[in-house]
Amino acid sequence: MADLIQLMTNGLALGSVYALAAIGFVIVYSATGVVNFAAGQFVMVGTFAGVATLLNAGLPMPIGYAGALVAMALFGALFYLVVYLPLRASPIVTVIIGTVAIGITLQNAALLTFGSWPFRLPSPFEGMMIELAGAVVSVHALAVVVATAVMIGLLWLLLHRTVIGVAMRAVAQDVKAARLMGLRVQGLLAFSWILGAVMAGVAGLMLGPMWFADVNMGDPIALKAFAATVIGGFGSLPGAIAGGFFVGLAEVLGASYISSAYKDLIAFGVMILFLLVRPQGIFGEPIQDRG
Amino acid sequence: MASRALALLAFLGVGFALSMSVSEYSLRLLNLAAISAVAVIGLNFAFGYAGLISLGHAAFMGLGAYILALLTTRAGWSPWLAAAPAVLGTGLAAALIGLPLLRLKGHYLALATLGLNVSFGIVAANWIEVTGGTNGVARIPGLALFGHALDGERAFLWLALAVVAILAILASALQRSRHGRAMMAVRDDETAAAMSGVNVTAVKVAAFALSAVYAAIAGCLFAAHVRFISPDDFNFAHSITFLSMLIVGGEGTIAGAIIGAALLTFLPEWLRGLGESYLAFFGLMMLAILIFMPRGIMGLALGLAARRRRPAQSHTQATSAVAGKAVRP
Repeated sequence: MADLIQLMTNGLALGSVYALAAIGFVIVYSATGVVNFAAGQFVMVGTFAGVATLLNAGLPMPIGYAGALVAMALFGALFYLVVYLPLRASPIVTVIIGTVAIGITLQNAALLTFGSWPFRLPSPFEGMMIELAGAVVSVHALAVVVATAVMIGLLWLLLHRTVIGVAMRAVAQDVKAARLMGLRVQGLLAFSWILGAVMAGVAGLMLGPMWFADVNMGDPIALKAFAATVIGGFGSLPGAIAGGFFVGLAEVLGASYISSAYKDLIAFGVMILFLLVRPQGIFGEPIQDRG
Repeated sequence: MASRALALLAFLGVGFALSMSVSEYSLRLLNLAAISAVAVIGLNFAFGYAGLISLGHAAFMGLGAYILALLTTRAGWSPWLAAAPAVLGTGLAAALIGLPLLRLKGHYLALATLGLNVSFGIVAANWIEVTGGTNGVARIPGLALFGHALDGERAFLWLALAVVAILAILASALQRSRHGRAMMAVRDDETAAAMSGVNVTAVKVAAFALSAVYAAIAGCLFAAHVRFISPDDFNFAHSITFLSMLIVGGEGTIAGAIIGAALLTFLPEWLRGLGESYLAFFGLMMLAILIFMPRGIMGLALGLAARRRRPAQSHTQATSAVAGKAVRP
């Protein structure tokens, strides 16, 4: 029982990171239609933004976190300008390859800047443990779950209770209609990229103390975020959250109860199963051209 | 017909001239480019003709390579003999996988095939008693032809060039046949193709299986050339590379598949002069190619040729040649 609580906490914490990465991916996908294969590199950039502010610059934590997230917002805006705008009218495969190509650039730029030696990003709850129903769990893992819940709540408020959020949802639904209603579509699309990058940045900052900050961490995260997105329902935010938690729990519980070697096969097997049997995922709506 | 024969002669001529003049290291890269070209000509069936986005092509290359490697090292088969079950088995596996999977379209198919490639890698790395795990399979026997061992890079390149040429001729013949036209019809408009009596599912599965057959041949060549295979040789990054080669060269064209394979094999090497940052530049160059040459090198060349031939209709010529690409699925 104690083991199970510990594993569940770790699984939920990892799932939170995947969920935030998937949310960042879905925000961009719903607004712009871009399947961003650099989504995992976004999380990597977020982790290394934290390495730069907290370790290299030695800033105190609140300032360091804020600085890293501001850097991520700028990064999202830059990505909008340099990658999205030139490729926005391209076919889907070109966009996939283009985002992969820029992902290679990001990964190698990080390698050149930070080197191949992994970093250990500090946590505000460094080394703190707490007893929970007889199990010892890390405070950082609990904080990650709580912080993710807060982020999801803030995102919901943004999308449903603010003018800019409602406008974003309008753009996601129908760009032409949104433009006819006088919305500044390009600005809103740029804001979607910024929001997606900030979400990935939060995921990266939370993941840093759990894994090592390694320039190669992007691809595995991207694959898990894709699995989470498909399982939850492509383009659905609740789906990204549910899918993220499922993939995180499957990874941690699968590793200890089934097989540590094949733990990742569970997520991808379930993903392929969903694509075959229920391509709209748990929360998605059946849409003709998406089946 | 004449232009195709000319292109074939030019390909063999340039290949032979290079094989006699370049360094051992460049010969090795040429071999890898030729092997990639086989895989990419195959991918052209699935993506270029039938419009199926596959990010799992490397898994089929790996399946072919592993079958050949295991039959030669464990059962002592000759590589020539082992290539037959490797290629046919992979084609059959692709048909069985394709039957349920190819109902998916666009990025759903891309992600499903990506998941397939990742799953292949996990199994290859962990099913140690069969695949040798991450240590891979070593001591794969080399090829011999008429009693002569093809153990040098140069001799192997001659074989690889011949294989590319034969497979390119077959692909070209198929493209011009009823079956090739059916594939392109499915790519351009599924409903219209079905209305015209094309069996859409059969055509898609056939294109997918055929692409896997070419990938398996590439895998067999790779195993016989490098003589050692491991799961990393066939991870999903290679699938993305194959697709990049096809798009950079010009999708839907066999010459484009070959040019793209050669260019993306050598481009990182040419950029090595930039020092440690060469891969970062490689990514940016790829992005620039996609932005400024959306139809790839062959698309650009065909567009220019069409403009010169018929100045008045150049635009319609160029767009109809790549009609499938213009619409976003």
